[in-house]
Amino acid sequence: MSGPSRSFAGTINFTFDGKALQACEGDTLAAALLANGIGLVGRSFKYHRPRGIMTAGVEEPNALVTVGTGGRTEPNTRATDVFVYEGLVARSQNRWPSLRFDIGAVIGLFAKALPAGFYYKTFFGSAKRWMFYEYFIRRAAGLGNAPREADPDRFAQRAAFCDVLIVGAGPAGLKAALAAAEAGERVLLVEQDRVLAPSLLRDSEGLDANWADDVAVKIRANGGRILLRTTASGYWDHNFITLTQRLAEPGQEPADGLVQRLWHVRAARVVLATGAIERPLAFAHNDRPGVMLSQSVRSYLGRFCVLPGQRVVIATNNDDAYVTAAALRDAGAQVLAVLDTRPAPAGAESGFTIHNEALPLSTKGAAHHLTEVSARISGRVRHWQADLLVTSGGFTPVVHLHMQAGGAALDWDAAGQAFLPGSARQQVTSIGGAASAAPIGPTPAPDNPGKAFIDFQNDVTLGDVDLAWAEGYRSVEHLKRYTTLGMATDQGKLSNMAALGRLAERQGVAIPEAGLTTFRPPYTPVTMGLLAGPGAKQAGAHLRRLALYDVHQAKAPIWQPLGYWQRPRAYPHGSESLAEAALREARSVRQKVGMTDVSTLAKFEVTGPDAAALLELICATTVSKLAVGRGRYTFMLREDGFVFDDGTVWRMAENRYLLTSSTGGADRMAAHLSYVRQYLCPHLRVSVVNVQEHYAGIAVAGPSAKAVLAALIGAEPPRHMSTVPALIAGTPVLVLAASYSGERAFEIYIEASHAASVWAACEAEVAQQDGCFYGMEAMEFLRIEKGHLVVGGEIDGRLSPHDLALDRMLNKAGGYIGAQGLERPALREPGRRQLVGLEAIAGMIPEGAMLIANEGGSAEGHVTAAAFRVNDGRAIALAQLVNGFARTGEELLATSPTRGQRTRVRVVAPHFYDSSGERYRD
Amino acid sequence: MTDVTITALPAAPLHALEIWSNPAEVAKRFEAATQFALPPTGRSSGSDALRLIRFEPTVWLVEGDPAGLADVLDGDGALTAIGGGIVRVRLSGPGWRSLLMEGGVFDAETPAFAPGCSAATIIDQVNVRLFVESDDACIAYVQLSYGADMIHFWEASAKTLP
Repeated sequence: MSGPSRSFAGTINFTFDGKALQACEGDTLAAALLANGIGLVGRSFKYHRPRGIMTAGVEEPNALVTVGTGGRTEPNTRATDVFVYEGLVARSQNRWPSLRFDIGAVIGLFAKALPAGFYYKTFFGSAKRWMFYEYFIRRAAGLGNAPREADPDRFAQRAAFCDVLIVGAGPAGLKAALAAAEAGERVLLVEQDRVLAPSLLRDSEGLDANWADDVAVKIRANGGRILLRTTASGYWDHNFITLTQRLAEPGQEPADGLVQRLWHVRAARVVLATGAIERPLAFAHNDRPGVMLSQSVRSYLGRFCVLPGQRVVIATNNDDAYVTAAALRDAGAQVLAVLDTRPAPAGAESGFTIHNEALPLSTKGAAHHLTEVSARISGRVRHWQADLLVTSGGFTPVVHLHMQAGGAALDWDAAGQAFLPGSARQQVTSIGGAASAAPIGPTPAPDNPGKAFIDFQNDVTLGDVDLAWAEGYRSVEHLKRYTTLGMATDQGKLSNMAALGRLAERQGVAIPEAGLTTFRPPYTPVTMGLLAGPGAKQAGAHLRRLALYDVHQAKAPIWQPLGYWQRPRAYPHGSESLAEAALREARSVRQKVGMTDVSTLAKFEVTGPDAAALLELICATTVSKLAVGRGRYTFMLREDGFVFDDGTVWRMAENRYLLTSSTGGADRMAAHLSYVRQYLCPHLRVSVVNVQEHYAGIAVAGPSAKAVLAALIGAEPPRHMSTVPALIAGTPVLVLAASYSGERAFEIYIEASHAASVWAACEAEVAQQDGCFYGMEAMEFLRIEKGHLVVGGEIDGRLSPHDLALDRMLNKAGGYIGAQGLERPALREPGRRQLVGLEAIAGMIPEGAMLIANEGGSAEGHVTAAAFRVNDGRAIALAQLVNGFARTGEELLATSPTRGQRTRVRVVAPHFYDSSGERYRD
Repeated sequence: MTDVTITALPAAPLHALEIWSNPAEVAKRFEAATQFALPPTGRSSGSDALRLIRFEPTVWLVEGDPAGLADVLDGDGALTAIGGGIVRVRLSGPGWRSLLMEGGVFDAETPAFAPGCSAATIIDQVNVRLFVESDDACIAYVQLSYGADMIHFWEASAKTLP
């Protein structure tokens, strides 16, 4: 630009690099910058070359800016794809200290020494050396910086179903949508722009100004839905298409907190009316501010009333650029010359000064605009004092979604030098500009390929393609990766055809034979938060709350995530630390009594005449011999014979059992039971119902637990591994005498909606016995000391019952799932990891540490869980160790290099407390 | 604009009714006892006092007083209480179908999902069972542990429906 190019002032205030500017309603940032005479918008990725605005759409490779502030900062935003709003803050990228004077531009002086493959040839050696190089490379090259603050806004995800999804609300898309809607189909029409038929604002095509709006009214009247600012970002199997919808512009505070929505669309069929992207021409210094694509210049003129230049040279290989020439002339610009690569008489009747078989040689420029365009005309170099060079190298139909849909092939249109959508294996058709290409003339090779850019974002030139070829890169996929062509945020929308043309030329084949790279989603960049969805700030998932969540919360516990559950980890008193609180709680259980919430345990009611038969398939222990009112410890095997879960099984009535298993494996166990019930044993007369959440659970453990239970139920509590129904606080409960702590203990199960009153009654009785609550940390201390297993720790799906010393409990009659797997010889060979205990010789045992025999030795096992003896504080652990059963007394080194921790340990039995089980007995 | 109301319903007796043998005979006994048929897959039937929703091929959710159903089953199935672990949420108002599309994977907007229909689906990663109570309301059955978060999710989503 050589100055302001719009005759009227804007009313929307925004800033660019701190400078206050005005825009008009509906302006893109690019249009507003051009209107304010700003042509220099950014610096290129590698050479820090000055770059301006080349296009008016999402294909823009040069005008990348950072918009917004704080957590709303959005780097690498295309200035052509953000609409200006009041207060917009935009900043240029990859420059220091300023856009106009960028120290990094000195790199461009050494461009010849930094060609394609420069990194691979220069920065080799050890990984440590690369870490050194990387610091400087990343500071020298790059794009915008992601914000450090959390995004304050919300993202939503939503499903939609339709008979026909039309992508692109240009004239073709609107007509297709109207036809489908009037035929009674459920129609979804999406447009990435904020207006319908934006191309009509550039070229009216003889249609009335209100035509698009009138069509939209009819589509909606027939039940169709239209989404603007919505991009079809990916096309997946089974006509599943993802749409990204902007509800606020990049960096803008959304009106209601929701900034973007991801649509998951299932469509019976899809119509792609995605249009075509204009291609640039390759010649030296074709990347300067002031070199623009032809149709984009018409867009700035027709849609935004912005005249991007006053003295214009046009370079083309097709007729469309003459429409631009006429538009520029009508807007008051001076068209100095049209350079047409085609031979005469192309363009002869246009009335402009035409030079046939001509291509720009080079350009010169000032900060914001060109100053000179040169070309060789009839063997003589001519110069024009132009501030704008309009180029058109033909059109590339947007076939990305077609190919993502599994387009079997693209058809080659030789006249248009473009790929067109071919057959597809999904219900998808392309129409309009996406399915046709106007004929173009030749695209001559430039004189100076080393300065002729084809991938503007990654600073790849035709010379780089030539170099890759010379160095033996023949495949287009290798060429892409060696040169980084097409790998920037624009994914090669402007560059791929030029590169393919050059590669085909080198190979001496037609372009289709040179091959194609893969079209991968997303079509345009997608914010990570949108993919995470509304749960982005909670690791993508909702919290699972205990039925007694509010009761616990009132006690101000330290919460611990366990899977999706939130469970109390400890209940500190005053200024107690977690460790202090947990040790106090554990000691209370050892010496008096404690109570804890065990509601999250998996629980299944198994009912029916064949209930025992089903359970004897599921459980590797005997079940059918249990008397009514009795229970036992059990564990479950996969078909390969490895233990995958454990729990207890209780016979509640003649044909009714309660099976409990681990919290962490609850969903897996539900699926396993369903699989066995539905597929392996559909003939069994049995019902399996998941009652995990129907029952809340309270465990009472400790020497005084029996006294607490007696007071609560007003009767003699059941003996260990027995169960009775009872009433507590007038509420029916089920009391199971089972222990996970090594102490006499009871689990009380209550319908969850009545749990609070039972908890309160237990709390009162426990207090009477001078007991307390205990959380998961104390529970961990207790169970490790007793040698109880935990799924995910000791039971990690790699150990057999023998490895865990559970083989004596196996059902000798066999018949359970995994029995055959256990017969595999490999499970009986020496060298298997086995469960052991560890005692620290000095210091703490790091959880997860490797076990090695000597310094520098190989890992022979690992620490699965570490804790302290509750009463004397000595460090103990459970571990998996190769041939562990035979290594009692051996000293090893437990080392955790990632934490810099190591301790000498002694191998012992995995039971540190009451190994004979005396404390369970009354 | 919010055009859907989210209401957590009070705890109620809910049971899982599973039939393991003689389904045709059980169906006859059931219809004779209740004056309505066991609903097929994707459907519900019954009254305010006793409603059954087919959950799985052999399992129905029983909402209301199950007295007498044990006799109907007569050894061909079982009735198991599950109400303590389920929160019932009524989504009412013209926007309930649109609300269910938020975080959803199921076509709640199709007219075929009419009163009396039921579905099992996932909403924002959470298992949810749906029962279309009327043109203007749908009942969602949510696991107790997810209840509070799902109600919050729906309340927030209702404010920003497209």
